[in-house]
Amino acid sequence: MEKGNFILNLYPSTKFMLPLFVTISIFFVPGYLYAYLMLPLCILIAFFAGKAKELVNLVVKGLLVLVLFIFIIQSVIAPGEEIFWSWGIISIKQEGVMRSLSLTSKIIAIASAFLLFFRITPVKDISQALERIGMSPKFSYAIIATFQFIPEISNRSKVIMEAQKSRGVETEGNLLTRAKAFIPVLGPLVLSSITSTEERAIALETRAFSAIGKKTSLNELTKRRIDYIIQVAMVILLTILLIGRIWLWN
Amino acid sequence: MELIRVNNLDYMYPINDGEKALKNVSLSIREGKLYAVIGKNGTGKTTLCNVLRGFIPHFHKGSLEGEVVVEGKDIRHWTMSELAKNIGFIFQNPFTQISGVKDTVFGEIAYGLENLGVEVPEIKKRVKQVIQLLNIEELADKNPYELSGGQKQRVAFAAVIVMDPDILVIDEPTSQLDPKGTRDIFDMIKWMKEQGKTIILVEHKLELIAEHADYLFVMNDGRIITEGNVEDVLSNPALIDYEAGLPQYARLGIELNKRSSDFGQIPIHRSQAEAEIKKWLGIHVNQGGSGS
Repeated sequence: MEKGNFILNLYPSTKFMLPLFVTISIFFVPGYLYAYLMLPLCILIAFFAGKAKELVNLVVKGLLVLVLFIFIIQSVIAPGEEIFWSWGIISIKQEGVMRSLSLTSKIIAIASAFLLFFRITPVKDISQALERIGMSPKFSYAIIATFQFIPEISNRSKVIMEAQKSRGVETEGNLLTRAKAFIPVLGPLVLSSITSTEERAIALETRAFSAIGKKTSLNELTKRRIDYIIQVAMVILLTILLIGRIWLWN
Repeated sequence: MELIRVNNLDYMYPINDGEKALKNVSLSIREGKLYAVIGKNGTGKTTLCNVLRGFIPHFHKGSLEGEVVVEGKDIRHWTMSELAKNIGFIFQNPFTQISGVKDTVFGEIAYGLENLGVEVPEIKKRVKQVIQLLNIEELADKNPYELSGGQKQRVAFAAVIVMDPDILVIDEPTSQLDPKGTRDIFDMIKWMKEQGKTIILVEHKLELIAEHADYLFVMNDGRIITEGNVEDVLSNPALIDYEAGLPQYARLGIELNKRSSDFGQIPIHRSQAEAEIKKWLGIHVNQGGSGS
């Protein structure tokens, strides 16, 4: 069982406390600074889990462009009085900047918390934990099979692409040619995936998939005392934030 | 002991061309023997397998008439998951036989036992055992999706064997494999027979059937047209007419027999052919010797 890492060994629902806490707390705590601080916090946690590089990579690739885009659009388009800087008809207003700060800080906080959660929690752990609290095994099969099937689909599409090439379908050239080549690939890909589901269902049935009664799992997942402590602590912290927020209002 | 009995079975697929896929099929399967089913394509071999494993009528609908009794109980009264414990099923396409939810071969083989709720230490013990027996240790940590066809088929065998069924229905297991893969699969089948399993095997490679099977059913157009001990059926020239073919050794024997009536028994596999030809050559060499 010991993967030797404290964070990776936590129970999935404990790990889920992170995105949950971040998502709720950024609406309780006023100001954008707190929300922006969630990113370094996630990176710090990722560092201890040995996943810092992956997370930073994802954030830079996935979020940076989005955030910059929102920033520019919001600053320019949002109406406002206080003008910071203007050039021709384009002007950046204080209200726009403030609004984009608050918007992007929340996006960054929520997205990085969820990205981290999926980095440190294998899908099979999530579905197993969900199965334990009563989710149907059929549903969890669908979740895991989907994730496992993605590389298989991409392999299959390559094979179909080769087959269509050998029949004379143009697959190289400019963007339009390549987009056109996509259609004769997509059809066989979808159809072949559908026809193989029948065989897949039979294959599952030979492994007693529909057996009634409790299933066991090789994937050992244990909820330890530290999991309960962290979960309770998080709930208490959220309650304190909520009370603080209400108290500040009054 | 009789494990499976089929009496006057008729079956028609829900989507059909007005013709029954199985017509008046009757057979009896006894414990511990290897039964082979041959016949040209589209004659109902796979349909028969599906009936014996319960996918007809539980998975494919359509009209099923007649009697199918597995281990004393009618097939319609079994549930599919109960049957999974008693009848293992391995089919043609190795690529769709993996569960798709496991990232290692070890987990893939364990999947059936997990579904049956076997305790984890017991699962680990049995999976390790099967991996060792089938000599696939080098695959254990690989991703099942990344295996070759032959490797996947061996993993499919392992995944079924680990559930320890009494009966195995194997539908054309080697049709997509190379000679080495085919040999590996037949070694596994031989080993399972030695374990006392009852095996029903659909296969086109007649030389291999001649070597391994005990009893043979020949199907044509939804019916069982001939059945009997392998030696008797495979040496029967009439089989050529049904397009099921004959092993090359039997063909050679039949041709020799036509030309020279003192060529005795028609051989069906290699060692027999060698012995018969030596015997026959012996007669002729001796005759030649005495004549000179």
